[in-house]
Amino acid sequence: MADDDTTARRPVLSSFGTLGRGWLGVLALLLVIGLGAWAYQLQHGLIETGMRNVFSWGLYIMLFVLFVGLSAGGLILSSAPKFFHSQRYEGFARLGVLVSLGCIIVAGLLILPDIGRPDRIYQFVTSPDFRSPMVWDFGIVMLYGALNVWYLWLLTRRDLAARGSRLSLWVSDSAAGRDRDRTLMFWTAVCALPAAVALHSVTGWIFATQVGRGDWFSPLVAPVFIAKALVSGLGLLLVVSILADRFTAFTADRGELTSLGKLLGIFLAFHVVYLLAAERLPHAWAHHFGFWAITSNFLIGDTVYFWLWTGLGGAVPLLLLATPSLRRRTAVIFTASVLAVFGTLFEGIRLVFTGYQRVNINAAPGIATGGEYAGLTTDAWATAGTYTPTAVEIAVTVGVISIGALIVMAGLRYLPLQRAAPDAAYATDGGDRTQ
Amino acid sequence: MTNYGLVIDQERCIGCQSCSLTCKQENNVPMGQFWNRVLTQGGDHVDTPSGDYPEGGDGGTLEMTYQPTACQHCENAPCVKVCPVNATYTRDDGIVEIDYDKCMGCRYCMAACPYNARVFNWDEPEHRPEDGTGDVAERPQGVVEKCTFCSHRVEDGLDPACVVNCPADARIFGDLDDDDSTVSKYIAEYDTHQLLDEKGTDPSTYYINGEMSPGRPWKSKKLESELDDDEAAKAARRRSGSVENGYDVTPHVPAETAGGDD
Repeated sequence: MADDDTTARRPVLSSFGTLGRGWLGVLALLLVIGLGAWAYQLQHGLIETGMRNVFSWGLYIMLFVLFVGLSAGGLILSSAPKFFHSQRYEGFARLGVLVSLGCIIVAGLLILPDIGRPDRIYQFVTSPDFRSPMVWDFGIVMLYGALNVWYLWLLTRRDLAARGSRLSLWVSDSAAGRDRDRTLMFWTAVCALPAAVALHSVTGWIFATQVGRGDWFSPLVAPVFIAKALVSGLGLLLVVSILADRFTAFTADRGELTSLGKLLGIFLAFHVVYLLAAERLPHAWAHHFGFWAITSNFLIGDTVYFWLWTGLGGAVPLLLLATPSLRRRTAVIFTASVLAVFGTLFEGIRLVFTGYQRVNINAAPGIATGGEYAGLTTDAWATAGTYTPTAVEIAVTVGVISIGALIVMAGLRYLPLQRAAPDAAYATDGGDRTQ
Repeated sequence: MTNYGLVIDQERCIGCQSCSLTCKQENNVPMGQFWNRVLTQGGDHVDTPSGDYPEGGDGGTLEMTYQPTACQHCENAPCVKVCPVNATYTRDDGIVEIDYDKCMGCRYCMAACPYNARVFNWDEPEHRPEDGTGDVAERPQGVVEKCTFCSHRVEDGLDPACVVNCPADARIFGDLDDDDSTVSKYIAEYDTHQLLDEKGTDPSTYYINGEMSPGRPWKSKKLESELDDDEAAKAARRRSGSVENGYDVTPHVPAETAGGDD
């Protein structure tokens, strides 16, 4: 039944206000700088990036991987309960799908500056090779983006109609319509869950299928991608929810926040503790003899990225969320979620580094890096991959991310993200809301 | 079917880098890029061995091998399988080639290639002289390029430039599907291996280690001029192709298209 709570049909931001306008201005400025940097890069070529022949994927792909993962949270969190006909976490569903949509658009757009000839991207459609995991990923990213748009509209269209918004696209608000939408939401959830699993697995398989790149060639990569999508996606959803709760009319249920924080802790434990151990133990066991040699080789990492991921982005938030007295505080959940997203970023950076740092045939002089020719004395060769992103790359990346932030801002301003209290028929949700 | 392959005799290779340079020149490879590299297996630098000098009466343990490395033209080529737009493909004659008009520069193939055989034009390619060299058009900025087994020469009945210009006769080109070809005979007779064969890419490039091959179509220890009539006839029969003075002058490519050397 349609509820009477008309305030719920309003956007959580009734106007942008001074703070909102300032933030929009910052985002617009970042977008303009990013576009300028991209134009500069298009003109001069990818020589303006830190990538070279040995280390041929950099920040764009690292963040593509991160944002594909980030887009998981909202869609999974809003569709999983619906799949089980539960109202749990319903208050986060709309905001979650909005954040998912923003992230998958950022991920897709990050591919554009990475490729050398963006003018030829139509070849994906006109001349695809279906053996290529990148073609699978192109398809699933498109599908996932479309699914997010449909789902977000489905979740909000009756409230939009009730408000007389043109965004409802001539759908009218009626009790029968809302009932029909509930059925549609169930079936959308039925499609969304496997689509999310496919999205993260296929993105993992881009790396996991490659025999030539060290640790990439591992069957564990796809499950790890699912785990890190759960961690970072839920982390980002919590961050955005808490910020929306703080700065807009959006209210996040405290009990559910704590419950989601606990869930994030479980995801973190699965990703950073269990899967990492499962990945490393067999190799450490096979390659070393003494008990401590085995143990230290599977517990101890080698790069700073590893520690930023497992320590600052893994162990610390896990401890925060595992302590019952701490995880009840919104500030703690916020901090842990930020750290979890941060950790996942470095997990992706580490993954790309493990592929490119070592080369299989590293005899002297190595591989021509293909950088700008600067005369006879330049050392144009490398026997190992090194990479530092350039200012151009960072500016382009930040610009693309600002598009995602602008999408979320538009959603906050124009969509009814705050769901009204669930009607009586669906109120029995296991009582978890009182936790 | 024709299936071109290359045999490189590491016992014959003297590390002169001629193949590397002639490749660069023939294929108009931009400054700062190499399709074909001669690596030194041994010390940390080019032309340096590993081990110790013979001192105090012992023999020393110095060791050094040259490892000429370019696209291996794998039968199970990871680069071909990953290319999302079919820009990298395997030709009917086994050569792995790139359609530079299709390549969108995603560099997935560079991630896939275990040999780092591929290079990317990070900026506008530069040439010396500015108009470029050789017989191949330059590739634009933003695409990946690599060794083609000199397909433009092979189509004209010529061996790849690196093969012709190897002063040590360490490189032999031919049809792996033809049991009578020199490459097939060498692979059967000498101790050969494929680079990173554990990766399962099945390269069409084979390396000879151990016993040194004669580095030429006939396998007798004698030079061309020293062969007796029987041996000469036998060497000639190996190929049904053009026979000049009893010897096949361009024995490595199909007879119907065989022209002269360069």
